[in-house]
Amino acid sequence: MRNSLLIALREWKERIGSRSFVALSLAGPLVVLGCIYLLFAFGSQPKQHWKVLIADPTGLMANKIMPGEDQAVDYAFADGYIEIDEFANAKKYQGFDALLEVNEKVLSNKVSHVFYRNEPSVRMQTKVQYHYERRLEEILVGEFTDLSLQDFRKIKQPITVKFTNAYDPEDKASDMTGWVGFFYGALIFAFIFLFGMTILRSVSREKSNRIVEVLLASVSPNQLMVGKIIGVGLAAFAQFVIWMVVIAVGLYFMRENLFPDLLDASKMNVQELVLSSAEQSYQEAHFAAREYNQFVDLIYSQVQFFNMTGFFLLFFAGGYLFYGALFAAVGATMGSESDGQQFVLPLIFLLIFALYSGYYVLNYPETTLATVFHYLPFTSPVVVMVKLSIGYEPGHAYEIYLAFFVLLIGAFIMMAIASRLYKNGILQFGHRVRLKHLFKWLKRS
Amino acid sequence: MLEVKNINKSFYRNAALTDVSLHVNKGEILGLLGPNGAGKTTLIRVINRIVQQDSGSVHFDGNLMTEKDLQHIGYLPEERGLYKNMTVEAHAIFLARLRGLSKKDAKIKIEYWFDRFGINDWRKKRIEELSKGMAQKVQFICTVLHEPKLLILDEPFSGFDPINVELIKQELIEMKAAGKTIILSSHNMKSVEEICDRVVLIHQSKKVAEGKLSELQEERKLGLYAVRFRGSMIAFVNALWTGFEVVDKQILGDDRFEVSLKMRGENSFDDLLNVLIGQVKMEAAWEVLPSMQDVFIEIVQPKKEVEDEK
Repeated sequence: MRNSLLIALREWKERIGSRSFVALSLAGPLVVLGCIYLLFAFGSQPKQHWKVLIADPTGLMANKIMPGEDQAVDYAFADGYIEIDEFANAKKYQGFDALLEVNEKVLSNKVSHVFYRNEPSVRMQTKVQYHYERRLEEILVGEFTDLSLQDFRKIKQPITVKFTNAYDPEDKASDMTGWVGFFYGALIFAFIFLFGMTILRSVSREKSNRIVEVLLASVSPNQLMVGKIIGVGLAAFAQFVIWMVVIAVGLYFMRENLFPDLLDASKMNVQELVLSSAEQSYQEAHFAAREYNQFVDLIYSQVQFFNMTGFFLLFFAGGYLFYGALFAAVGATMGSESDGQQFVLPLIFLLIFALYSGYYVLNYPETTLATVFHYLPFTSPVVVMVKLSIGYEPGHAYEIYLAFFVLLIGAFIMMAIASRLYKNGILQFGHRVRLKHLFKWLKRS
Repeated sequence: MLEVKNINKSFYRNAALTDVSLHVNKGEILGLLGPNGAGKTTLIRVINRIVQQDSGSVHFDGNLMTEKDLQHIGYLPEERGLYKNMTVEAHAIFLARLRGLSKKDAKIKIEYWFDRFGINDWRKKRIEELSKGMAQKVQFICTVLHEPKLLILDEPFSGFDPINVELIKQELIEMKAAGKTIILSSHNMKSVEEICDRVVLIHQSKKVAEGKLSELQEERKLGLYAVRFRGSMIAFVNALWTGFEVVDKQILGDDRFEVSLKMRGENSFDDLLNVLIGQVKMEAAWEVLPSMQDVFIEIVQPKKEVEDEK
């Protein structure tokens, strides 16, 4: 173990001191931040004007809602119940962007639903909620209290308006948060590929400059391989930490300086708006603050970065061990630094397949194949990230740990196989790698 | 000190070592000789536990060798490398620590050896900045830094200029005097003759000869004698008459010659001297023993010829 650690330490120092590490530490997060900036700045803007149909079968609203106060939203009323499916598909409702369902229970449970065709901006959501809430307050004050409207607003409970896709009311299809998981998964595989190739190059370089024989006189091939994987892995981990810190600082900087009103948007409280309803300009300023597309909301509000990052590290470690061993084995079997590239290709295909599996699960999270991908060590790092961001069903969190356990077992099996190839291939020089060599080396103890 | 017993090793169907046994005594320099591909490097790798033998055993200090014993071995492979982007000092510390030294001890030893080899000014330089000879010195230092009991050197003189070859030779002789055991694999027969106590010759995976240099030479001597003299060549030949046969002659100067000859009949070295003294001015006369190179070729070549005939 001591020797493995010494090997790991040397690898770590070499990687950390290399120019490519420094370059990647700066360039990587800057590229990610640049992409986020572009999405913030030029992201798709949802519709600016909305027509909302209010289904009010009990006549609670009395066909009234802040008339003429806001040009951005037009309201229309319907007397009866409207099925969501009917609203989504019937021709007569196609002119409306959303359906606001007013249930008589709203006065007691304070919950209402809006079904939309295209996801509204947060600004639009806030507007609709604000208009609706103000009207309900008038009704509540008129019917149930002797308080003035101002006094009532001070003591009232807030109303929750849930916005749901009319075409997918049960929210089966994953939303953007799923993409965050996919991004994390893709990041895992990008790191695995980058640092896997580093292991491969490092092993083949040791072979070609023949230092390997000096090392093998002191350490076993297995210790050498494990040390190398750990050392390069630590460098990858350090790189990831640098990325996360730079990205976090960058996001904070963007929120504070480039898009300062984002901060207000995230803190905006409809209740405060209602209290100061007299100030039209104040309201507008706050609505404007929510103008940014949902990507902003996703980045700053929805993603559980802490949770995701924790699992990212776990699955990155498992995935890295699994694939790292494979890269080390391929490096050890290469006859020269240039030879053996053909065996890198299958590895790349495997990584691309893993990414595809993440994309598949993003779209079809409930299928049997998705479950298989979830537990398959080749694909689980990306799939678990996707599932994690979509959300596991309550009581099913154990699936994450089960997948991690399977990944770990897979990684150890892969290490055992790779160590055999490594041991038998590391002292073979100048040959052209053929598949038959690999099989021979695998068979040899 | 080291005993190798009946080692067999084959790679797939090709035998690399066939029933090879040898021993090295403490404080001895053993020359491991053999043509390319004979199995020397495989044997060295087996001793270093880099390659696992199919059968047979290696004993170190009387016990079956274990991984722990590797700390007492210094190994300089034939095709040796260094990490090009490490500094000389960092590299030496790294390898010394792999051999079991603490960082502190490694630094003390480095101080001593770098001074001894005159490379103290280079300790902070990167390996890639070193000349080939300088890198060879670093490799040698890395091999001996942990003061191993047994040194295994595979072609230690290759790549060195004559001055550095001499330097390394002197180091080896001093180490031997200090009680270290050395196995030296080399094609440099002159060096082998100069510093090895015994040699083992491996050919086509088998041990084909073993013994002290003088014994091997004695076994293969051809009854040749050499005489260096001043005088007339005609007088020299006349003096020999029919009792001796001239095999070769070299003209060293106007009247100075060196002649190789064989005895005929029952003639001895004394008879030779008797017939020559007074006829020519003798400078030297000696029995010609085959060089290590000759012994090597004699053992290796006939078998090759037989093979060629097949």
